[in-house]
Amino acid sequence: MEPNLVHIPKPKTGLRIRLLRIRWKKIDLFQVLAMIGLTLLALFMLLPIVFIINHAFKPISELFLYPPRFWSNQPTLFNFQQLILKSQTTVIPFSRYLFNSVLTTLVTVAGVIFVSSLAAYAFAKQRFIGRELFFSFTIIALMFAPETVAIPRYLVIANLGIMDTYLVHVLPLLAAPVGVFLMKQFMDQIPNELIEAAKIDGAKEWVVFFRIALPICMPAVATIGILAFQGSWAQTETSVLFTSTESMKTLPYYTMTLTNGLANNVVGQGVAAAAGLIMFAPNLVVFLLFQRRVLNTMAHSGIK
Amino acid sequence: MSKVLFQHIYKQYAGEQRVAVKDFHLEIEDGEFLVLVGPSGCGKSTLLRMLAGLEDISEGNIIIGDRIVNYISSKDRNIAMVFQNYALYPHMTVYENIAFSLRLSKLPKAEIHERVNRAAKILDIESQLHKLPKQMSGGQRQRVALGRAIVREPEVFLLDEPLSNLDAKLRIQMREEIGKLYRRLRTTTVYVTHDQVEAMTMGTRIVAMKDGVIQQVAKPEEIYSRPANLFVAGFIGSPQMNFIEGKVRVRDGYSLFETRKHTLRISEDKSKMLRDNGSIDKPIILGIRSENLLYRNDDLAKPEQQMNVFEAVIEIKELLGADTYLYTNNKEQRIVVRVDPKTRFEEGERIVVGVDMNHALFFDKNSEALIC
Ligand SMILES: Nc1ncnc2c1ncn2[C@@H]1O[C@H](COP(=O)(O)OP(=O)(O)O)[C@@H](O)[C@H]1O
Ligand SMILES: [Mg+2]
Repeated sequence: MEPNLVHIPKPKTGLRIRLLRIRWKKIDLFQVLAMIGLTLLALFMLLPIVFIINHAFKPISELFLYPPRFWSNQPTLFNFQQLILKSQTTVIPFSRYLFNSVLTTLVTVAGVIFVSSLAAYAFAKQRFIGRELFFSFTIIALMFAPETVAIPRYLVIANLGIMDTYLVHVLPLLAAPVGVFLMKQFMDQIPNELIEAAKIDGAKEWVVFFRIALPICMPAVATIGILAFQGSWAQTETSVLFTSTESMKTLPYYTMTLTNGLANNVVGQGVAAAAGLIMFAPNLVVFLLFQRRVLNTMAHSGIK
Repeated sequence: MSKVLFQHIYKQYAGEQRVAVKDFHLEIEDGEFLVLVGPSGCGKSTLLRMLAGLEDISEGNIIIGDRIVNYISSKDRNIAMVFQNYALYPHMTVYENIAFSLRLSKLPKAEIHERVNRAAKILDIESQLHKLPKQMSGGQRQRVALGRAIVREPEVFLLDEPLSNLDAKLRIQMREEIGKLYRRLRTTTVYVTHDQVEAMTMGTRIVAMKDGVIQQVAKPEEIYSRPANLFVAGFIGSPQMNFIEGKVRVRDGYSLFETRKHTLRISEDKSKMLRDNGSIDKPIILGIRSENLLYRNDDLAKPEQQMNVFEAVIEIKELLGADTYLYTNNKEQRIVVRVDPKTRFEEGERIVVGVDMNHALFFDKNSEALIC
């Protein structure tokens, strides 16, 4: 056997090195800088989340440390215990607020998706008198901040006779012009032939809507779902304005009273931190679940 | 399988001045492959969409089988349609696309499965059934669209320019496949195209349309050899038929077609028809296809034939493999001549072209209709 005079690298490592090189070749200085910058920014944006999570698990001694710390040295469930204990001493248990919030938020999300997409389908794919007019109403509605219509809204709710029911947490939020607008942009892009093909295939209008139009618009559905969730889960207005019975109020209202009324209460800080995490966690979960869909909405709105 | 009857159909779109379809009256036989052909914008799709129930009918009746379908919705007309852009449901697999209509009609699962598989087998897409439309090529998508149509076993197939999104080679292949499919199923088919080659090769009958009006309804051979008017004559056939303007004169008992510079002798039977029609001394357009113009090199001597020749200069030479077309100028106008590709020609060369007057067509210049 002749000894190898030339060193031949093992193919496996050679390949790996080459792949690495190719990958790096494609990244120029600007991209490196942008990546570093964005990573730093992302870390910075992460801080409040880290804080809110850790805060909830801090014992009282750590809650008042100055300067405040991100990490908890001796994590404890004490705050959660307190939260549950405290609410046992009040008339309405904590779980009731939670139940109210979960129920009304779920109904609101489903309702907003249903109403917005139905309206959008009609605006995008149906011919009827007043179509442009009604759509421009929707666009105009986009321009009003909710605060500006608080009084007329109150009058509507009052006159409907639904004060102090679950409906007040749902109904005002169902009119979601952003949702309608977003969905319409999506539905506009569904080729008419697709709907016609479905009709020829034997689909009635509502079948076309549920089996063709809505599934194609899933990314938009996810987006307005998140928007509706965020609009409903954390809002306190409907509890403040439209309910007087404590058992009809929602979790964010309860959290607000914790931080408001007990501002100087030492135990209250811990309870508020725990409640804060409970308020925040679903946001994170919902976003993580739907984020890919949402990114799809933004990335390519083309359908073909 | 059913007859389709259009009874004096008119269509005017809301807010439009122009009538999109005008007095369209036609009976489509059971099991016929009817091709609607015409330039784009002539109302072909409008007609098909009225037949499919996707567009209102302004006037007239459409009858499928023995039902007037004017007010019957698409889903109850028992028709299937294939669209130019396939219109496959993007979120469904090929299997689901094909099965969609069957599922809606609540057929048992086993039967759906069997019918989808049968359709897939016919169209050779069995191995693709799990794919999404976006994972397929244009030709494959077109097969899925066809599958979706045939699986329903409809009374009538409607196809609206189904091949125009495909490249040339695939188009010819799919043309054959659709032909095969038709011969196998023998379902009444209405096929819309703006491509006269597709019309000629596929149709058992052709309807040529222009500006929403039927120009001619005939079998492919007939529409080619006896086009009803100048429009059809010019639209069907490639290269376009040569049109020569002139007058018919009678001299020494012969009928002659005279242009400013040339004289052609009209055959006996045609000259009689022209005379009976009263076309003598009236402006006439003579139509002659390039294959009925003959390149002559040696038989100029025969006096009888010398009558029907003219001299022309080759301007452009177009080699198409099996044929060569010479775009020539005969001092009056451009004339396209088909020649044997084995003979060599140079651009700029002078040649003598003979006219086969037995195949000449005469059109009235004013009415544009065929005289004989
Ligand atoms: N939805 C519509 N609204 C108004 N005019 C239309 C509509 N669809 C088609 N047209 C008009 O009707 C005529 C025929 O169109 P169409 O049937 O699509 O032609 P083709 O399919 O032969 O190309 C055209 O002049 C077109 O502009
Ligand atoms: Mg068309």
